[in-house]
Amino acid sequence: MSRDVLVIGGGIAGIQASLDLAEMGFQVNLVERLPTIGGKMAQLDKTFPTNDCAL
Amino acid sequence: MDVGRHPKIRLLAYSEVEKVDGELGEFRVTIRKKARYVDENKCTGCGACAEKCPTPVRDEYNLGLAESKAIYRYFAQGIPSTYTIHAQYCRNFQPGKKCGVCSKICQAGAIDYKQQDQILEVEVGAVILATGYETFDARRIPEYGYGRLPNVITALELERFLSAGGPTHGHVYRPSDLALMAALPDLEKARQRARKGLEKFEKTFDRTSEEFFPLYESGELAGEDYDQWAEQVRAARKADGEFEGLRERVDKIETAHRLVFIQCVGSRDIRFNRYCSGFCCMHAIKEAIIAKEHDRQAEVFILGMDIRAVGKGFEEYRNRGGRESGIQYIRSRVAEVTEDADHNLTVWYEDTKERRVKQLAADLVVLSTACQPAASSKRMAELLNIEVNDFGFFKTPGYPPMDTTRPGIYVCGCAHSPMDIPESVAQASSAAARAAQVLSGSESACLAS
Repeated sequence: MSRDVLVIGGGIAGIQASLDLAEMGFQVNLVERLPTIGGKMAQLDKTFPTNDCAL
Repeated sequence: MDVGRHPKIRLLAYSEVEKVDGELGEFRVTIRKKARYVDENKCTGCGACAEKCPTPVRDEYNLGLAESKAIYRYFAQGIPSTYTIHAQYCRNFQPGKKCGVCSKICQAGAIDYKQQDQILEVEVGAVILATGYETFDARRIPEYGYGRLPNVITALELERFLSAGGPTHGHVYRPSDLALMAALPDLEKARQRARKGLEKFEKTFDRTSEEFFPLYESGELAGEDYDQWAEQVRAARKADGEFEGLRERVDKIETAHRLVFIQCVGSRDIRFNRYCSGFCCMHAIKEAIIAKEHDRQAEVFILGMDIRAVGKGFEEYRNRGGRESGIQYIRSRVAEVTEDADHNLTVWYEDTKERRVKQLAADLVVLSTACQPAASSKRMAELLNIEVNDFGFFKTPGYPPMDTTRPGIYVCGCAHSPMDIPESVAQASSAAARAAQVLSGSESACLAS
């Protein structure tokens, strides 16, 4: 039985899931289709409701 | 952004899952790591290659509102920072063509035109699907004019305009005005070319064109050479006129002051998606508030069936948008968007409170497009042997909430259903916890059954 995890998609959800699992000690393979992670959120300027910078 | 550095995370960007065998606890996964034609270990991300690359390419990150190059980085702060060659556009990959500029310029020697895709095999205990969403193609509602009327844009496009790092450095110009600005340098070049043509004649005949032309017109100077010169004078005057005319128009250009948002474009619509996309109301309000911050003269109208501000602090945000940013919320159904010769827009709508058809002038119309399943999700569902729901999002039959129809495969974020960022983050943590729970053997894989 493998204790590794595969996360498919490197947007905000995939990044968060990967970080959580890695922090818990699991080895994570994070696969992203595009050359860069970040997903749709990286295209946003600011986020609601706090108007914080997205990046 | 710690993802790129974490010792426990192997980041496989520019890669796709090709095959998944096995079951919970022992999935065997085949991943294709696509060739970037740039050595990840050598590239320093300096960007000298892209600066010198001669091939302009549509910038997907900026949704085509800017240009990037055939060797590119998706966006400036991207992780990994490695550049990638777009083989579809790069000259070196076109039959019978040659280039090699980037490989000459790269001091790290990172360019490798012969790089091949790599096939990797990994064994994992669990899979988390976070494949996200795509926005509805607004061209499918032709009456709103997206793709036909230049000043009708999507909410995500406005996001790029509002961004200080975006194509207009945070100034919201109308795309029709941007096109005018972009045309100016070409007309200036044409004017200069025409002037150069005059200089040749002036040198030959040792006379200025201003002196020559009245004499030619009065018939004092005649002959084939003079005919040609006169022709050139006319062309130069025309080029001057065209340039000056456009420059006058460009000088008058201001940023877009009247913004009209149309909500539920492709959602809550029986023709397309019946569901509510959830985040678009708040997204429109956020963009309206930011637009107002950038431009105090901005007037913003949000047209929709209702405003769905369901979330912590959301209703207050909505009210603040009305109170402090002067957003006018109009309960309505939009019928059509039309434009005049100068691309000024008119939005025709039914005011559903007054039950009257009204119109609203707009500099820019912003479409809040629906959140839809990613185009790849059907293939992904087949690959993983899991089900999708009626709308095409990955099916989650019940409890635990992040479990798909197959043990060991969990879903989170907009791959699950439309949701905003805080909800995506919460679901991601939930899916991660669920995977950890199952892999640690502390909980049955199928609590539900």
